[in-house]
Order: sequence, then structure tokens, then C-alpha cells
Amino acid sequence: MFHQEGIKFESKWENIALVAGKVLRQENIKKQEWWDLFQDISNVCNWDEKGAHKIHDELRQLIKQHINQIQESVLSNNDEASLLAAYIREWTRFFQQCNYLPLPFRVVEDAMRNKMAVATMKKDIDQSLIYKLMLQEWNDNIFHSIRDKIHGAAMRLVEMERSGESFDKQLVIGVRESYVNLSTDHTDPLRIYKEHFERKYLESTDNYYKAHASAYLASNGVLNYLKYADAKLAEEELRGKQYLETVKSIKSVELLKECLVRCLVDSFRDQILAECLKLITDNNIEYLRMMFMLIDRVPGAVSAILNHLEDYIYQAGLDDMRQCADTITTDPEKYVEELLKLFNRFSKLVAQAFNSDTRFLTSRDKAYKKVVNDTTVFKLELPTSRATTNKTAPESKCPELLALFCDQLLRKSPLSKKMTPQEIEEKLKNLLLVLKYVQNKDVFMKYHKSHLTRRLILEMSVDSELEENMVEWLRDIGMPVEFVNKLARMFQDIKVSEDLNQRFKENLHDQEPTTADSVNIKILNAAAWSRGSDYVPVALPTELDEYIPSVEEFYKKSHSGRKLQWHHLLSNGTVTFQNAVGTFELEVTTFQMSILFAFNQRPEDQISFESLKLATQLPDTELRRTLFSLVASAKLKLQVLKMSPAVKNAKDFDNSTNFFINQEFGIFRQGKLQKRAKLSLVGRLILTTEKAKKEEEEGIVQLRILRVQEAIVKILKMRKTVNNASLQTELVEILKNMFLPQKKMIKEQIEWLIEHKYMQRDEENINTFIYLA
Amino acid sequence: MAEKMVVSTPNPSPQIKKKEKHQGPMFVLKRWNAVAMWSWDVSCDTCAICKHHVMDACLRCQTDGKQEECVVVWGECNHSYHNCCMALWMQHSDKCPLCSSDWIVSRTGK
Repeated sequence: MFHQEGIKFESKWENIALVAGKVLRQENIKKQEWWDLFQDISNVCNWDEKGAHKIHDELRQLIKQHINQIQESVLSNNDEASLLAAYIREWTRFFQQCNYLPLPFRVVEDAMRNKMAVATMKKDIDQSLIYKLMLQEWNDNIFHSIRDKIHGAAMRLVEMERSGESFDKQLVIGVRESYVNLSTDHTDPLRIYKEHFERKYLESTDNYYKAHASAYLASNGVLNYLKYADAKLAEEELRGKQYLETVKSIKSVELLKECLVRCLVDSFRDQILAECLKLITDNNIEYLRMMFMLIDRVPGAVSAILNHLEDYIYQAGLDDMRQCADTITTDPEKYVEELLKLFNRFSKLVAQAFNSDTRFLTSRDKAYKKVVNDTTVFKLELPTSRATTNKTAPESKCPELLALFCDQLLRKSPLSKKMTPQEIEEKLKNLLLVLKYVQNKDVFMKYHKSHLTRRLILEMSVDSELEENMVEWLRDIGMPVEFVNKLARMFQDIKVSEDLNQRFKENLHDQEPTTADSVNIKILNAAAWSRGSDYVPVALPTELDEYIPSVEEFYKKSHSGRKLQWHHLLSNGTVTFQNAVGTFELEVTTFQMSILFAFNQRPEDQISFESLKLATQLPDTELRRTLFSLVASAKLKLQVLKMSPAVKNAKDFDNSTNFFINQEFGIFRQGKLQKRAKLSLVGRLILTTEKAKKEEEEGIVQLRILRVQEAIVKILKMRKTVNNASLQTELVEILKNMFLPQKKMIKEQIEWLIEHKYMQRDEENINTFIYLA
Repeated sequence: MAEKMVVSTPNPSPQIKKKEKHQGPMFVLKRWNAVAMWSWDVSCDTCAICKHHVMDACLRCQTDGKQEECVVVWGECNHSYHNCCMALWMQHSDKCPLCSSDWIVSRTGK
């Protein structure tokens, strides 16, 4: 064989074509035939100069012919299913052979290529010219002419499946596989699949739902449509995963999802969202949930639901508040309960319908904050001094009510008596939850501190552990640190004072017996408790007056550099009152005590207002107030003190109004006059004098003004120049833990700071401020 | 009242009673809870070094939770500051920040 001269293409081709044809048709060939094929091709290429090119050209013809035959047989199928089946069958067969036929023709390829390149050529079948030729021919002929029919048929099958008919899924999958494998473009192997199959699939899906979805919506209503869309999305995704290519390099399924969301959700967005408010109102968790899941697939669309929810919570909250306005404005427990009910109701809704999604939690918080700080149901007007121009805008009374409720829980009160410490703790935790949303935390802290002062001074706390825990809880929810620190310091003071009493009494016991046993001293840090309240003079019972210097002396032994100021406004005690009826223990303030003791010398006499002023040394206003509490205590049938002439108001006492002890005084319990009983006349312990009270109420506003000034300077110092808008935002950010600064106050303080040369306006832009060092 | 009383009978305590004549006074003191406030005995209540009220701890002590330990110091010039503020000041000057006289401690608060 090797020496045969002139092996020409023409002499061998017939044989080559015969065997190659068999390979193409997947007919049986003998080993020898297969072997000879290699030999013949190789010989032709070696001996015939143009052999390789001729073989290549003829082979192309052969393949074309073969493909034409296939095309005919495939097209002979009338119905689409069998057409598809035939195509897939033929393609599968052809594709298999694509892996075999190129093998014997490798020599041809080598000959046709640059010989130099051969050595470096990869032997991959993908790189084979013949392989490419085969696919190219398939692509150019059969695929080109019938591809529309094929994917048309495939899409119709999918559509049939959508309408509930079943068929052989392999048909569609087969078509997809044929498209995927039919790759002739090396840089983008899936181009044919993407351009023809994927695109068609998306198009047909889009068309199908454009028609079906709107028809469904029109005849079944939005609620049913939600279910429909939800089900279809899941169904189509599943279907897409079957029929579309899922290799990682391709995003067919994602594209399908986008397409579905577009035609199932986005195009009906407005209709769907129009139902939202009603669903929220009806607390229709199931459908809200569905709506959320659907709408959330459209980027950015969820904000519409958020707005509905926020508005609704706010409105519902206000309605609730208005409905119960009568009870909640007077009963802080009811108020907190009502707010809590509201909070829980919507937290539950957000959890169940919206998966506690953070965006929804934020909406809930925003709305809840508005309810809590709303001023339509209750208003609190902060008094200001005339110096700071007219009134501030009204604020919600909420912080005041919360502080009052907190006091009812922590004080020995009718409410706390019925509860275990655990129950109280639970209620306090609820209260803290509401408190978190309060904007003006400084108001709460002010009231809370006054209540705490009363509880500590009168020793009325239910549970000291709860009290101290409360301080830490307040710290935990971010109440202003400086306020919280003061509270902590108050507890420290109480402990220090207990120690002091102990040591003082031990010290005295060594000496003579004294009044010490019945006296208890609290020496407190003026800054933590009450700064700047005036000393109020009062005549003390002699034994107490004599006692005080020894306390001061003792105190000086352990402390230096301190000055003590007695706050008899806060001091209180118990006196026994003996009259013809019986013996009574009365809890009184020191001022009340001073008045009562004035009668000890003249038990049967009437004493005039003027004389009492001398005897007690009390300032006029305090004397009036205290006398009135003794002649007109609301909780007593019989008063300790009587007056003549009788007046309705403390202001109406004049210097000649006479007072005398009620010798028939007695205490009634369940309608019976008691011979021995205890009673408190302290009432609500007054913490400041009338004059100081006014100053203290203005204190909140004063403090706010200082805080605003401080914060503005701080921002300017850092930024050097700042425009009005960002100054406002930063200011709110700095102050929000204490209070929400009002626009008007900010403006006033900016003016003040400009006037006092802390800052100036930019000459070119009046909305920009410049820091002046 | 939460605290147990030493004198628990409703009768007046003997030492108070004996002061009065025959049947005893109409009102007898049984118990007294006296309240006093203390503050540093200073002429200016702001610390000129840290600009905080001397009754409040300085910021360092507030953050360190050492409020009880933040005392006041008086110089012979009778100016007063937080003791710890003054200690820091002394690192670069031995004059009183307010009057520039030599700083000599006259007393420290306790």
C-alpha cells in the first residue's frame, strides 16, 4: 500500500463517502471499514496535494445531503409533538455522531491547517474543524429553516402545560438541549440558546400572562388575584428550572423571574396596592402577607405598603386615644395600657404579615412615635419666662403621664399594693417600652425625679431593688446620661445618710440619752437633689432646734469644706395628738408640725394668722398653704385645725383670721369614730416653695436653650462653616436623646449666638453660618 | 414608714414628756426625718478649669464613675476647683488659673 503511486482523491472518495455516510446514519460498520476509513483519508491527504481540501468540500456536501434527508423526514410529521420528537431524535443521533465522524478526518484538518500550528493544536473535539462543520451545516440548513417551527411548537407545549394539559416534558427539554449544544460561536457558546430559546421562552411567558393575568384579575378580583399571582410565580419558577438552562454562567431563571414579576405584579401594582389599606384595616394577615411577598419582588414598590401602614397606625392610634380620652388623661395606667395595646397589635401585624421585616418595624416605630408624641389629645405647655419671648409650642403630656404611672408603681400606693414585685417589674418594662418613643425625655426625667425625691424622702418606696433597677433600665433605653447619673447619685446619698445616722447614734449612745432615737437625718448632695432652692425659715420644736447643732458638728468631723443647709420644706415627721376623743398619730410636714406645736402652749386658745406668722417664722405663702392643709384636708371629715371666719381659699386668710385646735377631732374608719388611729396629713409632699417652683418649671426650657446653644457652637466649632439645613439635622441628632428642639427655638438661639458674636452669617449666602472663635 | 421605730408605743417618749406639766402636751414629737443639703463652701460654684459646676463631678470622674471621689480644693487665694482638674493644671503651671498668684492649697474637701 505504501508504495502505490498516485493515490488520488477520486479513487478513494467513493469508499470514504460510503463509510462516512454509514457513520452519519448510525448504521453498523465493521471494524475493518472504520480502520480503512482512517487509512484511506490519510493516504489521500498524503499523496494527493489537493486531497485534503477536496475531502473537506465533499464531506460538507455529504453532510448537507444527510441533513437535507433528515429535514425532509422531520418535516413529514404533521403534528407538532411528533415533529418535535422527530427533530430531537434526529438531533440526538446527529450530535452523537459529531463526536465520532471528525476522528478519521483529523488528518484532513491537519493538512488544511498550517503545519506549524498542528503541534500546538489541542486535540479537543470542540476544536475540530469537522465538528464545527457538522454543527454549522446543521445550523445553516435544518435549524435555520425549521427553528421557528420547533420553538413555536415547544412554546405551545409549555402553554398547553400552563393550561393544565400534560405532555412529554422531554420534548421541550430536548429542544433546549439541542439549542444549548448547537454552539458554533466559541466566545459565547450559549448564544444560539439565548437568542432563540431563552428569548422565545420569555416572550411566550410574557404574552401568556399579559392575556391571562388581566383576565383573571378582571373576573376574580384583587384578593383572588394575589393568590393566583403567588401560585403562578411559584409554578412558573419551577417550570423555568425544568425547561431553561440552569448552568451557572447563565441567568435564564433570573430573567424569567424578572419577566414574571413584571407581567404578574408590576403591571397591576396600582390595583393591588389599592387594596392595601383595607387589608390592614381588616387585619387580614393572610392576604397582607401575600401582597407583601408579591410587591416586595418589585424593587422599591414596598414603600407604598410602608406608607399605608404608617398612616394607618398613626390614625388608629389617634382614634384610640381620642375614644378613651376621658379615662386615659386622668388614669396613667390606662394610658400606658392603651398605648401598649396599640403597640402590641401592630407589632403582631408586622411580625405575622411582614415577617418582622426591618423596613416595616421602622414604619411601625415612626408611626408609634407620632402617636406617643401627639399633642391633639393632651397638651403640656411648658412655661417660660417672659425674657425668652412668647410661648413654646405645646408638647405631648405623655412623658408626664408616664412618670406618674411609674410613681404609682414604685410608691406604696393602692395600685402597687395589689401587685407582686414581678408584676410591677413587668409593668415598668412596658412603660419603658413606651418611653423609648417619647421625644421629650427631659420632661419625663424631670417629673420622674420629683416623684423619686418624694419616695426617697418619705421612705415610700415599694421595693428598693426595683427602684435601683429602674435607674439602670432608664440608662439602658438611652435616657439622657446626666439625668440618670443624678438619679444614681440620689440612691447613693440615701445610703450614705443611713450610715451617717448609724454612726451618729452610736456616737451619742455613749453619752447621755437624747432625742436621737426619734430623729433621722438625711444629708443630701444639693446638685443631685435640688439646686438653688431657697432656705425657708421655720421655728422648730425646741428639742429639735437644740439637736441640730450637734448633727452639724458631727458632720463636720467626717467632712470638710461643705456647708449644710436644712431643707425643712422636705423634712417631715410623726406627732401624737392627744385630745378628749383619743390619741392619734399624725404624719406631718415640718411646717405643719411647727404650726401644731405653736398650740402646745395654749391648747384652748385661738391664735391669729399674724401671731402664727411670728410663732412659726414661716413666709406668708408657705404659712397660708400649710394652714390650709390643716383646716381643709380633703380626706378628713373632721379637721385638726379650725378657723374663724371660715374661708374657701388659702389666699383669703387675713392677719386676723383665727385658728384653734379641734378638740373634737377624731378619725372615722368605716363610719366609726376611732380612739386610736394613724393618719398622714403630708399629702403630696411639696418639693419647692411657690417662688422656686416657678423657676423650676421654667428650668426645662432654660436648660433646653442652653443645650441648643451648646450644640450649635459644638457643631460650628467642628465644621467651621455650615449651612442651615445641615446644622438643623446635626442639631436634632445631638439633642434627640433629650428632646426634639423646636424650629423656633433653634432660630432664636442662632440669632442670639450671632448677636453675641459666637458666629456670623456668610455675607454671600445668608443660609451659611461661620464660626467665630 | 419603712424603717423600724425605736420608739414604737404611741405614748410620748419619756424624755420629751417629762419636760411638760401634769397631763402632758397636746402634741408630742414621735419621729422626725430631717433633710439637709450639702454643697461645697465655695464663692464661685463653677470650676474655672473644666467649666462644670463644682457640685457635679468633673467629666473625667463622671465617665470613670468616681463621682463620690471628685472633691474640691481651695487655694490660699480662696479660689476653688475640682481637685483632679487642679492636679492636671499643676502639670504645666503652678499659678492659680483665676488670679495668677502662686497656688498653695489651703484645704481639700472631704
